[in-house]
Amino acid sequence: MPEVLETEREAALERFRSTPSGREKTGRFWKIDIETLVPPSFPHGEAGGAVAFASAPPRAIVCDLATAKREHGALLERALGQAVDANRKFVQLTRAFARLGAFVYLPADCSVGEPIEISYSAGEGEAIFPYTVVLAERGARATVVERLQLGTGAFVCGIAEIVTEAHAEIAYASAQFAPLDARVIFTRAAISGRDATVRWSNAEIGAALSLADVGVRLEQPGARAQVATLFFPGSSQHVDVVSAIDHVVGDTTSETLVKSAANGAGQGRYLGTIRIAAHAQHSEAMLRDDALLLSEGAHIDSVPALEIAANDVKAFHGATVGALDDEAIFYIGTRGIERAEAERMIALAFFEPVIDRFPAVLHQELREALVRKVASA
Amino acid sequence: MSNTGLRITNLHSSVDGNEILKGIDLVVERGKVHALMGPNGSGKSTLAFSLTGHPKYDVTSGTATLDGEDLLGLSPDKRARAGLFLSFQYPSAIPGVKVPNFLYAARQAVRPGELTPAKFRAQLLSMMDVLGMDPSFLGRYLNDGFSGGEKKRLEMLQMAMLAPKYAILDETDSGLDIDALKDVSESVKALRASDEGAATGFLIITHYPRILEHITPDVVHVMIDGRIVKTGDAELAHRIEREGYDVIREETGAVA
Repeated sequence: MPEVLETEREAALERFRSTPSGREKTGRFWKIDIETLVPPSFPHGEAGGAVAFASAPPRAIVCDLATAKREHGALLERALGQAVDANRKFVQLTRAFARLGAFVYLPADCSVGEPIEISYSAGEGEAIFPYTVVLAERGARATVVERLQLGTGAFVCGIAEIVTEAHAEIAYASAQFAPLDARVIFTRAAISGRDATVRWSNAEIGAALSLADVGVRLEQPGARAQVATLFFPGSSQHVDVVSAIDHVVGDTTSETLVKSAANGAGQGRYLGTIRIAAHAQHSEAMLRDDALLLSEGAHIDSVPALEIAANDVKAFHGATVGALDDEAIFYIGTRGIERAEAERMIALAFFEPVIDRFPAVLHQELREALVRKVASA
Repeated sequence: MSNTGLRITNLHSSVDGNEILKGIDLVVERGKVHALMGPNGSGKSTLAFSLTGHPKYDVTSGTATLDGEDLLGLSPDKRARAGLFLSFQYPSAIPGVKVPNFLYAARQAVRPGELTPAKFRAQLLSMMDVLGMDPSFLGRYLNDGFSGGEKKRLEMLQMAMLAPKYAILDETDSGLDIDALKDVSESVKALRASDEGAATGFLIITHYPRILEHITPDVVHVMIDGRIVKTGDAELAHRIEREGYDVIREETGAVA
């Protein structure tokens, strides 16, 4: 990993502490103060955690960040820090400590069939700051699956960054099933080039606190973005998801799909922003978010925001927040199926469209996790 | 339990405190077809929902038993497992639940372990053929984006696959074109011709006598204002077609 000098780290830490997050404040429902959030102990010397990945497909590079810096510095520089906003609170925290990371490089027209899996692990009570960088050259295609293996009380503050050049297509999926006392914070930022596609899918299932910030900047005509997010706070879990799509130029397309549920005293918040710049004509944006409340104490706030400065665009937005449909439960019941099973069936069905956006390798794991979440009401 | 029928005695039922059923007495025997006719708002659907246990319908007095088993104390799923089926007039759409998965789960709930998945699938495809349903239905979500006719066909498909002891068809004929009506009638006949469905008793709720030209009822009841005011044979349905409900209303002194 790039050597971060002690003085630079101190300065970065100071900026982290003084930068407001702009996120949810504590109140009647939300109980965690994000502004004063710090890791359990700041790591010194060699940070803990580990990164693992399978060997790179032919022509591609998959390596840890230290190796990338040493051996592929020029390639890394084309993506590192390009998509992410360095002024964000948690970006500063990751950058102050990141020693753990992975670099995925796909040369022009390199097409990888099997998903490239990257796994970060942290021991009990350990803090890790993983940083994944993906550079896809012209016409390259791949799916990256990021996993977390966390001990109890672990703290994760990470970044994933994607740069796609013309006609490239990158799908990047993450699903966290962290222990219920862990905290997981991720900033995911991407730039989609001319006629290129970026697909983010993230599932926030575990952790006491999960903050996910997902963004795509559509910088060239023909660029496409797809964001699929699934989150499900139960017991006293808190999940805060922010997605932002920037249509910087015209003839760009985006689709954001968010499905969430909450039970127990689970708290969720979703802020979804679509920005279409003044000259970004003929852009198309779709934002759909649906929330399902499965208990009296559960709460989900959904705040979609469309900021459209161009006049010749297509933008659609729809949001629902609701409980399980009693008529549907009765209907299923009249076919001999017990109420608890009917509820499970409807809740799982609700998530199917978003599960469909994840790579197939995660489908079964997600369904099983959701079954457990629904049953734990 | 003996096959003593679906027996409804002096049933009173309310919705939001308003009494809709004002004492219904009715016995549907195994293997028989009963038609329940009546003008809109007479309480026909209320009877269907009261028997199947919809939480909004409050049975205030009376009894309902299925082959001797008390229905009214059971949850909707237990009533179904006892052998009662309702074909909904407006079935719920459940996006994300695939038609064959749902049918198999329902079949397993109502008649556990009787059919291997392979036999189930063969039976399903053969009944879909009777109903004129394209195999592409198997890839669709339950009632999601279905036309009116498709929904009714799926209700009939469920009935055939569950082979209940007693089936209530709540205005399954309404809104259907001639072809769909014929398919629906064929599915009832196919169920009655099968081993499982030979002894199914039917209560066909309808506003119009049209469906009864395809399925001849053994008994016809006329319901007006929450009461069964007249009972007869198939000829009664023809009379209603010719003369309308007003004549029956006047003849029986039923108040609108």
